[in-house]
Amino acid sequence: MRKFTLFFVFLLFVGMQAALAQMEVKGTVTDAKDGTPLPGVSIVVKGTLTGTVTDINGKFVLTVPAGYNELIFSFVGMLTREEKIDGRAVINITLEDDVVGLNEVVVTALGVSREKKSLGYATQEVSGSEINAVKSNNFISNLSGKVSGVQVKGTGNIGGSTNVVIRGYSSATGNNQALFIVDGVPISNDNTNNYGQINGRSGYDYGNAASDINPNDIESVNVLKGAAATALYGQRAANGVVIITTKKGVKTMAKTKSYGVAISSNVTTGFIDKSTFPIYQKNYGAGYGAFYYSETEYPGFEYLYDINGDGQTDYTVPTYEDASMGQKFDPNILVYQWDSYFPESPNYQTATPWVAAENGPEYFMENSLSLTNSVEVVGGGEATAFRLSYTNQYQEGIMPNSKLKKNSFLVNASHDIIKNLTVSASANYVNTQGTGRNSTGYSDNIMSSFRQWMETNVDYKQQQEMYDLTGRNISWNWWSPDDAKNQATPAYWDNPYFQRFENYETDQRDRLIGYAQLDWRITGFLSLMGRASIDTYNELQEERKAQTSASGEFGVNRVDCTSGYSRFQRKFTETNMDIMLKFNKSLGESFNLSALLGTNIRRDRVDQVFASTDGGLIVPDLYALSNSQNQMQAPEELLTEIGVNGVFAQVSLGFKDYLFLDGTIRRDQSSTLPKDNNVYWYPSVSASFLFSQLLDVDWLQLGKLRLGFAQVGNDAPWGSLKDTYTFNGTFTGTSMYSLPNSKANAELKPELSSSLEAGLEMKFFQSRLGFDLAFYKNNTANQIMPVSVSYATGYSSKYVNAGEIQNKGVELTLFGTPVQSGDFKWDIMLNWAKNINEVISLDSGLQNLQISGNLQGGVTINARVGEPYGTIQGSDYVYQDGKRVVKSNGYYLLSPTTDIVLGTIQPDFTAGLNNRFTYKNWALSFLIDWQKGGSIFSVDMWYGLGTGLYPETDYINDLGNPTRDPLTDDETSGGVILEGVVNTGTAEEPIWVENDFRVPGDDYRVFGWARNPNAGFVYDASYIKLREVVLTYSLPEKVMANSAIKGVSFSLVGSNLWIIMKNLPYADPEAGQSSGNVQGWQSGVMPTTRNIGLTVNLQF
Amino acid sequence: MKKIYLILLVLIGMSISCTKNFEDFNTDKKRPVEVPGGYLFANAQVALGNHTATPNVNLNILKLIAQYWTETTYTDEANYDLANRAIMANQFLIYYRNVLNDLEDAIQSIAAEAAVGDEAIAVQNNRIYIIDLVEVYVYQTLVDYFGNIPYTQALDINNINPGYDDALTIYKDLLARLGADVAGLNDGYGSFGTNDQYFQGDVAMWKKFGNTLKVRIAINLADVDNTLAKTTIEEAYAGAFAPGEICQIVYPGGTQSNPMFQEMIQSGRHDFVPANTIVDIMNTLEDPRRAFYFTMAGDTAYIGGPYGEDCPFSQFSHVADAIQGEKYPMVILDYTELAFYLAEAAERNYSVGGTAEFYYNYGIGSSIVHWGGTEADIIAYLSNPAVNYASAAGTWQQKIGTQAWLAFYIRGMEGWNTWRRLDFPAFNLPPAPNSDDGQVPKRFLYPINEQTLNAANYYEAADAIGGDLMSTKLFWDKH
Repeated sequence: MRKFTLFFVFLLFVGMQAALAQMEVKGTVTDAKDGTPLPGVSIVVKGTLTGTVTDINGKFVLTVPAGYNELIFSFVGMLTREEKIDGRAVINITLEDDVVGLNEVVVTALGVSREKKSLGYATQEVSGSEINAVKSNNFISNLSGKVSGVQVKGTGNIGGSTNVVIRGYSSATGNNQALFIVDGVPISNDNTNNYGQINGRSGYDYGNAASDINPNDIESVNVLKGAAATALYGQRAANGVVIITTKKGVKTMAKTKSYGVAISSNVTTGFIDKSTFPIYQKNYGAGYGAFYYSETEYPGFEYLYDINGDGQTDYTVPTYEDASMGQKFDPNILVYQWDSYFPESPNYQTATPWVAAENGPEYFMENSLSLTNSVEVVGGGEATAFRLSYTNQYQEGIMPNSKLKKNSFLVNASHDIIKNLTVSASANYVNTQGTGRNSTGYSDNIMSSFRQWMETNVDYKQQQEMYDLTGRNISWNWWSPDDAKNQATPAYWDNPYFQRFENYETDQRDRLIGYAQLDWRITGFLSLMGRASIDTYNELQEERKAQTSASGEFGVNRVDCTSGYSRFQRKFTETNMDIMLKFNKSLGESFNLSALLGTNIRRDRVDQVFASTDGGLIVPDLYALSNSQNQMQAPEELLTEIGVNGVFAQVSLGFKDYLFLDGTIRRDQSSTLPKDNNVYWYPSVSASFLFSQLLDVDWLQLGKLRLGFAQVGNDAPWGSLKDTYTFNGTFTGTSMYSLPNSKANAELKPELSSSLEAGLEMKFFQSRLGFDLAFYKNNTANQIMPVSVSYATGYSSKYVNAGEIQNKGVELTLFGTPVQSGDFKWDIMLNWAKNINEVISLDSGLQNLQISGNLQGGVTINARVGEPYGTIQGSDYVYQDGKRVVKSNGYYLLSPTTDIVLGTIQPDFTAGLNNRFTYKNWALSFLIDWQKGGSIFSVDMWYGLGTGLYPETDYINDLGNPTRDPLTDDETSGGVILEGVVNTGTAEEPIWVENDFRVPGDDYRVFGWARNPNAGFVYDASYIKLREVVLTYSLPEKVMANSAIKGVSFSLVGSNLWIIMKNLPYADPEAGQSSGNVQGWQSGVMPTTRNIGLTVNLQF
Repeated sequence: MKKIYLILLVLIGMSISCTKNFEDFNTDKKRPVEVPGGYLFANAQVALGNHTATPNVNLNILKLIAQYWTETTYTDEANYDLANRAIMANQFLIYYRNVLNDLEDAIQSIAAEAAVGDEAIAVQNNRIYIIDLVEVYVYQTLVDYFGNIPYTQALDINNINPGYDDALTIYKDLLARLGADVAGLNDGYGSFGTNDQYFQGDVAMWKKFGNTLKVRIAINLADVDNTLAKTTIEEAYAGAFAPGEICQIVYPGGTQSNPMFQEMIQSGRHDFVPANTIVDIMNTLEDPRRAFYFTMAGDTAYIGGPYGEDCPFSQFSHVADAIQGEKYPMVILDYTELAFYLAEAAERNYSVGGTAEFYYNYGIGSSIVHWGGTEADIIAYLSNPAVNYASAAGTWQQKIGTQAWLAFYIRGMEGWNTWRRLDFPAFNLPPAPNSDDGQVPKRFLYPINEQTLNAANYYEAADAIGGDLMSTKLFWDKH
C-alpha cells in the first residue's frame, strides 16, 4: 500500500507544478461535407484531461492551461483533428468523415474512454440503434450474431432467460455469465429460477435481471472479451463484460438552451414457426397399446362402465392414458369419451365417432403481440445537460393469459458547479410485471403435454368450450368416468385453459439503478472521479394452483399437492463506491503517459424468503399463506452478504501514435474467502503496435497488432467455508436437522484465470475491406467447486480448489463495402468464432463432475476431463463393427453404464452475417445467425416417440403394412425390425447377423424411452436462422423543412423469420429451460415465433 | 490540494481496512452451526423410516422386487431396469448421507456434551448405544442390497475413495457391535426421550431391538457360519421382542406423512397394483389378511396384476386404503419377523425355546393381529390344511418362507431376503427382465456413480463378490 501512497504524492506534486496562467478559446465545429454544426464533438487540450464538448449549435468554449498549445477535436465517425492554438482566441474548424475509423474512441473498463487503436485487446462495439431495432423484452438477445465470440441463447419463454457466454465456459460450477455494466454501474443479471426449474422439473422462467435495461436508452454496447480488457474490474469480470453506455443530454454554449423530443412507437406480432411445433400422427388415439384394455372387439377401449345408464357396459376411452398408441381411429366406432361424462357437455352420455381431433394443440396457441412506446427529452444549457426517457412495453405471449408489462423511467443529468467540477447523476426506475408466464420443464407444463403426453383424439376447442362454460377443471385426462363425475382431480393433466386462467403466476420487480458522480479536473492533466452507485430491487413471485388441479410438485420442498399458493420474495442490493484519479500528460514529443489509480468498495446483499402452503388450500381461490391445509413447512430463508474491497492502478504509455503499452494491477480482498487467504492480486499487460503508421502504402489504412496477457482471480461462493445444518421440519414435536450435502472447506484459495491473447486488425482500400482477428487462450485453475464424492463419505460433494478448464479460440470479424456507387451502398459484416473448450483436470483422481445429475430421461450434463465442458452423458447403444447390437428379443442392447459421452453443449463455431443496403432514404439490413454443432438431448422425443404422438411412430413397414398392425407370421404383419446385428452364436464365439426379429409397433416400448438408450434422442443443435430483417425509410429532410419535426422514420422489422436449417425435429434447438450451466436438454419447450413489427420514430 | 490528498488516503485506507466485519458477511445467519444430537438422531430415524416405506421408483423398488406389487403402465422397474433411474445411487445417498452421517454427527455432538453425575453419564451412554443400534440396522440393509460395501473407511470426508469391506466380515462386526450395545444399555435410565421417533427413549425396548436385530442378522449367516448363527441366536432370542412388540415409525400426518400416502394419494398417481404373485397365493389360502392388504377389483374378487406386465389400474385390486393413509406407520422391526426367524432356527436345530411349528403359528398369529384380524381369523387360518404346519405342502423352507413372505407384506427387504435365503415362495418372471441372467435379481448393482467417483475400489469390490451383476448371489445366499 505504501507504494500507492507514494505514487499519489508524486502525481499530486506534478499537478501542483502546473503554472496558473491560462487562456480561453472558443469556436464552432462544423461538418466538412455540408457545413452543418456538429454537436457533441469532444475537444481536449492535448496532453491534458482538460476538455469540453460542443453544444447543439456546434459551439464550444474552453479554458486552456498555460504551456499547452494544441487542441484535439474528436467525434464518432469523424477524423480526429489536432489544431495548434498559436494564441488565437477563436478557432473555427471543420471535421471530415472518417472512413478509416483510426480514431475510434471506445469505452473500456471502469468507463474509461480510450482510442481503440491504443488497446492491446479485443473489444467490439454495437450501436444502440442496432440493439433497439428489434423490439424485444430482453435486449441481450439482440446481441446474437452481432459480436464474435459472444454466445447468446434465449429460451423461448415469455420474458425468459438469456444465456450469455463470452469466449466459452470457464468455471466448472460457478457463474459463466457475462457481467453487465451500465454507465459504470454493475447491473445484477441474476437469475432467480430455482433448482427445480433449472433442472427441468417444473416451474416458471422468470428471466435474467439485466433485461430490465431499456434498449431505447442505449447509446452503444461495447463488449470486452478477454481478461486483459476486464482485469481492472477484478474478479467479477472473469467471464467478459458487456459495457452499456446510455444516451445523454448535450450542453450548450453561452446562455442559450436547447432541447429535443423523440417519440417512438412499435407494434409487433408473432406467429408460431411451424417447424418448431409438433406434427402429430392422425391414425391412432388414446392408449399405450391397442391390446390390453379389454378382451373385446376393441381391445384399445375399456369395457367396465355403464355411461348412458342403460344397464349395459359401454366402450370407454382409457382417458387416463396420456399417450396415443391406442385404438386405431375409425369413424364407424362410437365410443364414450371424456366429454360424455359431464352434464354440461353437448355430448353428455353420448358416444361419439372415434376420430382424430379436429382442433389439436395448435388451436391452443395464440399469436403474440407487443406494443412499445417511448418518449424522450434531451436538453441542455450552458452548465447543464439532461435526458429523460420513458418507455412502456406491453406484451402478450403465445399462451392464453400470458402478459408482460414494463415501465422504465430514466433521468440523467450533469451540471458544472464550477468550471472544473461537474456533478452528474442518473436514476433509472424499472417496474416489470408478469402474469401467466408459461410453465417450463417436464411436469405441469402444457407444452410437455403437447410434445410428450397427449391423446390425439382430444379436441382443444372442446376443452376451451367446457372451461368457458363451467369455469371448472374439465380435463380430458381422468382416471375413470367415476372420478370425472365426482369432480375428483384429473390424472396428470388439467384442462389447459383451466391451467392458464386459474393456475397462473404473477411476478413483479421494482428496481432502481442509479449513481451520483463527481468529476473534478484538478489541473490540466489530473482529474478525480468519485462515484457512488446502487442497483437495488424487490422481487415478488407468486404461484398459484387452484383447487381440483391435477397433483404436482409445488412450493417449498416441492411436495405433490392439488392446490396451493407460494410466494418468493427477494431483495437485492449492490452498492459500489469508486474513486479514481486520472492522469494524462505528454512527455516530450514522442511519449504520452496516462495513468489511473482507484479504489472500489462493493457490497452485495441478497435477502430472500420462499414460503408456501402445504397440503393444499382450505378455501378455494383464496391465495394466502394462512389458507394452508397443513401447518406450513418452514419457509426457506436466505441472507447472503458479500464484500469486496479493491484497489487498482493502470499505466498506459504511448509512443508516437503507433506503439502503446498498457499495464494494470488490481488487489481484491473478498469476504467469501478464509480470513488469512482473502487477498489476491492480479496483473495484466497489453501492447498495441500500429505498423500501418510506419508503412506508407495506399491500400492499407490500418494495420494493428496487439498482444495481451492477464490474470484474474475469483473468490468463493458465499458461505462455502463452514458447514451449517439444514432444518428438515419437525416430527411429532422434535426438530430435525441434517448435515449439508456439500462439505464446506475452510481452506479455500481464490480461483485464478490466466489469459493470453493476440490480435490483428487491418483495413484496406479506403476501408472498403477490413478484418479483426483474435486468438486467445484462457485457463482457469484452482476452481472452487463442490466436486461429487462417493456418497459413502457421508456427503454428496465437497468444496475443493482444484481443476482447470481451458478455452482457446479464434474470433474473426470481417467487414467491407462491396458496392458503393452514388446513393447506393452495400455493407457487409461477418462475425465468426470458434472456441475450443477442454476440461484439463478436476480434483485429483476425479475424471468427471456432474453439473446436473437430476434431469428427466436420466442424462447428465458434465465436466469431464479431456472433453469440452458440458458433455451430455447417458446410456448408449452397444456397437459391433459400427452396427447397433440387437438382443434376441428384437430390442436394442443398452450399454451397461450411463456415463457414455453422447454429445456436448459446445458448438463447433458460431457466426453472424449482417448485410446492410442503403439507397437514398431507404435502408435494408438482414442478419443471418449460424451455429454449427453442439448437441441437445430431447426429452420431448424421448417420451413423445414412446407415446406415439409423432408420424415417426406410424408408417408403412418393410412389408408394406402399417407398423402398428398386429404381428403375424406372414406378409400381413405389422411391427418393426430394428436395424442392427444380433449374435446368433455364443458369447465366446459370436456370429453376427443382421437382425430380422420383428417387434410390435403398437407398443410404447419400441420407439421411445423404455427400450432405447439416451443416445437415440441426442440431436445436433446446429441451426442457421434469418434472425433479423429491418427495412427503414426516413422522410427526406426537405419535406419537414418548415415544420417542428426534425426527423421521421418508419421501420418494418422482422425477427426469427426463418429457420433456414436445423436438425432437431419439431423444436428450436436454441429453446431451453433457463440461463446457467445446465444446457443441452429440452423438455416441453415453447415453439419459436416469427415476429413482424412496425416502428415509427419521430424527432422534434 | 492537501485536502484531496487526505481524502484519498482515507478512502484508499478504508478499502483496505474496512474488512473487520468480513467474517460476519460470510456467516450464515439463517442456519445453525451446532445442533443437539437428538435432533440429528430424529432426522436419521425419519429418513430411515421414509426410505423403508416409500414406493417411489427413484428411491426404493423393493415392494416390486419382492413381488408384493407391480407397476401399471411404466413397468421398467418391475422388469429390473435399475439403470433408467438413479435408484442405487439414491440408496447410497440416503443411507450414508441422510442416515449414517447424521447418526455419526449425533454421536460427536452427544459425546461432546459435558455429562455430570451418574444419571447424565448413563443417559449419555444410552444415547450413543442406541445410535449404534440404528447404524447396525442400516449397515445390514446396505450389505443385503449389495454385498461388500464401504464400511471401515466410510463416512470420512477426508478419504473420498473409501474402500469396500468384505460383507461377511462386516456382518460379524455388526454382531459384535450389537453385543456391546446391548450389554452397555442401562434401562434404569432414559435416553432420547421424545426425540426418539421409534421408542420415545424407552431403553428397555431398544435392548430388545438389539437382541432381535442379532437374530435377524444371525439367521442370514445360518448357511455360512452355522456355529456363529446358532450361538448368537440362542443367546439373543430370550431378550428379544415379545409378541406384540414392534419398532415402527408412526407418522403424525400433515407435512410429515407416510410416504406411501405421498406417492400414491397426494401425487394423484396410479402407478402400482398388488402383484398376482401374492394375490394368487392368498386367494388359494383364503387368507384373512387380504381385506387388509388389498381392495377388491370391481367389488367381486381380489385380482393381482400379472407381475411386470401392463396392468390397467382400473382392472385390478388396489393397495388397501389404510396402507395409503396419511398417518399409517411403517414397521422397522417386529415380533412377527422374529417369530419366523425363530421357527427357522428351530428347524436348524437351534435351541430357541420352542418348536418350528410353535413359532410359525406365532408368526402367523402375530401378523394377522397386527394387520387387524381377529383370533377367530387366526384359528380358522391355521386350521387350513394348506397353512397348518403339519399338513402344509413342501419343505420347512417352503412353509416358513411362504408364510413369512406373506406376513412381511409391503416390507420389501424382509420379503426379498426371505426369498433369497429360503427360495420360497416361487416368484413370477416379468416379461422382459433386464437382469443379466433374465432371472429375479439376487442383489442390486452398485451405484453407477461409484464407477466414476470411486473406481478402483468399485472394481475391486465387483471382483471380490464375483461380478457387479444382479445374478451374483450374496455371500449368505447359498441356495
